[in-house]
Amino acid sequence: MIDIIATAESYAQAESLLNAGVDTLYVGGHPFGLRLPQALSLEEINRIICLAHSYGKKVTVACNALMHNEQIGQLTPYLSQLAEIGADAVTIGDPGAIFVLKELGLPLSFIYDAGTLVTSAEQVAFWVGQGASGAVAARELTLTELIAMQQLLDQPIEVQVYGPTCIHQSGRPLLTNYYNYTGNPGQVDKPDGLYLRDPKNPDSQYPIFEDQDGTHIFSTEDLSLVGQLKIMHDQGLNTWKLDGVLLRGERFVQIVALFDEARHAIESGAFVPESFCNRLAKLQPASRPLGTGFYLKNPEDVH
Amino acid sequence: MKKIENKPEVLAPAGNLEKLKMAIRYGADAVYIGGQAFGLRSRAGNFSYEEMTEGVEFAHVRGAKVFVAANMVTHEGDAKGAGEFFKTLQSIGVDAVIISDPALIVVCFNAAPGLPIHLSTQASATNYKTLEFWKSIGLERVVLAREVGIEEIREMRRHTDIEIEAFVHGAMCIAYSGRCTLSNHMVNRDANRGGCAQSCRWKYDLFEMDGGALTSLLRDDEPFSMSAVDLSMLHHLPDMIDAGVNSLKIEGRMKSIHYVSTVANVYRNAVDAYCNDPEHFTFDPAWDEEIWKVAQRDLSTGFYYGVPTEKEQLFGKPRKIPKYTFAAQVLSYDSETHIATLEQRNNFGVGEEVEFYGPGFAHFKQTVRDLWNEDGEPIDRAPNPMMTVTMTVDAPVEPYFLMRKK
Repeated sequence: MIDIIATAESYAQAESLLNAGVDTLYVGGHPFGLRLPQALSLEEINRIICLAHSYGKKVTVACNALMHNEQIGQLTPYLSQLAEIGADAVTIGDPGAIFVLKELGLPLSFIYDAGTLVTSAEQVAFWVGQGASGAVAARELTLTELIAMQQLLDQPIEVQVYGPTCIHQSGRPLLTNYYNYTGNPGQVDKPDGLYLRDPKNPDSQYPIFEDQDGTHIFSTEDLSLVGQLKIMHDQGLNTWKLDGVLLRGERFVQIVALFDEARHAIESGAFVPESFCNRLAKLQPASRPLGTGFYLKNPEDVH
Repeated sequence: MKKIENKPEVLAPAGNLEKLKMAIRYGADAVYIGGQAFGLRSRAGNFSYEEMTEGVEFAHVRGAKVFVAANMVTHEGDAKGAGEFFKTLQSIGVDAVIISDPALIVVCFNAAPGLPIHLSTQASATNYKTLEFWKSIGLERVVLAREVGIEEIREMRRHTDIEIEAFVHGAMCIAYSGRCTLSNHMVNRDANRGGCAQSCRWKYDLFEMDGGALTSLLRDDEPFSMSAVDLSMLHHLPDMIDAGVNSLKIEGRMKSIHYVSTVANVYRNAVDAYCNDPEHFTFDPAWDEEIWKVAQRDLSTGFYYGVPTEKEQLFGKPRKIPKYTFAAQVLSYDSETHIATLEQRNNFGVGEEVEFYGPGFAHFKQTVRDLWNEDGEPIDRAPNPMMTVTMTVDAPVEPYFLMRKK
């Protein structure tokens, strides 16, 4: 069974996403969830959970921050409340949060999500041993590696099939620091985004923003595996995540709907990858090129 | 009277056997090194098993410890041979391994039961529950993320008794360690498998998206940069020690003998001064003077006293830090004639101002008054690498004293 996971920025978008075929909504809030399209309050999360459950669908709540003492102290009531309102799972990237979850003994399953650090089946097996029900794979892996990992595991490996990926998290306010140095205050999070460019690579444009967790830099392209979905499905990679952290509103919903359509096409044996690639390209904002990141590289190409 | 209950160790980097010995001679209680595989410094001189054996023997005779960093984040297949690796380290007598990847932790538990494991800073441990987690798994020590503050360490200490290691000196990642793949995405080099290209230290353009077009936000032609200045907690060692840190870590397996010996010497002396008499401790300005002789960038306290501002990043033209060069190493000394035999490491000659330093924070400056080659012939300069020369020194020296010049 293919499981489509998508970020939701609001109750309204959550509803559209459910209508577009999403199986699991991914939401969260500060200070526990990292890099979300919108930080939601517990109350909003509660409403989204009720909505999703009325559709027979699930909600995973982001608790994947690198936590400092202060956050870990606040995590206990947060997790208890999430269990109470019926969250189906949480993502966790900080082992301290796993420790807290164990101490509380809550009926809340967790998916291990430590960004760049999930790169082998043996690692995932370790976190499964600590109670994880699955793991989010690093975006720096190739499909060859992802398939090899999934074949060694009973638990699902979540693969990002659409959206930007974070390639750098600093604990420092890098934009504020730059503005302060030049003596010209500026914004750290603009609606249409801020971008870094490596002068040696004039086509590059890495989205960058600053929030309570520090500074985040994203890949120059939005990842897309729409052309590889059948191969993934055939090889057992059936947990697909679409990340709308930098793409708000209806456009993201349309892209999610396209992936849902692709799923049905695969299941009915009518999948034409070129057609879906073409349609995704039309939906994709012109300012954000699509790419396959590391997915189609040879494992030996990256050292 | 105030007493230091748990005197922390001074932990120094050692890129090769010579540096290991020098670090220990200059006061390190422990050193960390890399093996031929599973580390993150593919370009640092890494140790063969034979060199490790010699290093461990050298250290243990002197009451020092040797830790081996195996802190790569493995992909499928990378952990092959790791069991044999850890087993061999254990048989060599290595005191601990430094690991961040749980797959390698499990391999190590199975292959070398009893070999202590320290969690690498690459795992970004930033709270006491994380420390408790790793303790419950069976680790003996956690190297903290560089993003924690002194107050946070104090709180961690109140909540857990696992050993805490924290960086006190050296270069810093601008990102949470392990959470940066700029190198992967920009140059196909895996930062978490030893390929970091230090992309954070490059210069970037900064743009905003404005109606579909990019508009530069660079001010006064100053490129956007993420380069951090280096860390130094030399002025705040009492805070680190009182917070309950068990191991004071110096960064730099790629650094020179000159650097490692100098930094180890300074921290050894300062830690001893505080721990021996915390109530009457005063900061010796000579420590500061000494540490700047090997500084490569400006120095700051990182996150220990708050989130770093623009002052803790490298913008604009770097401030000129006077450079000192490692000129020679003392091989022997004749106390009757006051003549020292030296091995040349960089060109120097008669008339130049030089400085000798040795373990125990020994120091003196002098002018090179005379110089002879191996055949006893007077010479003006010592131009050849590793050549043996003799000269008159103004104060007693010992083998392994080093000589630097401006």
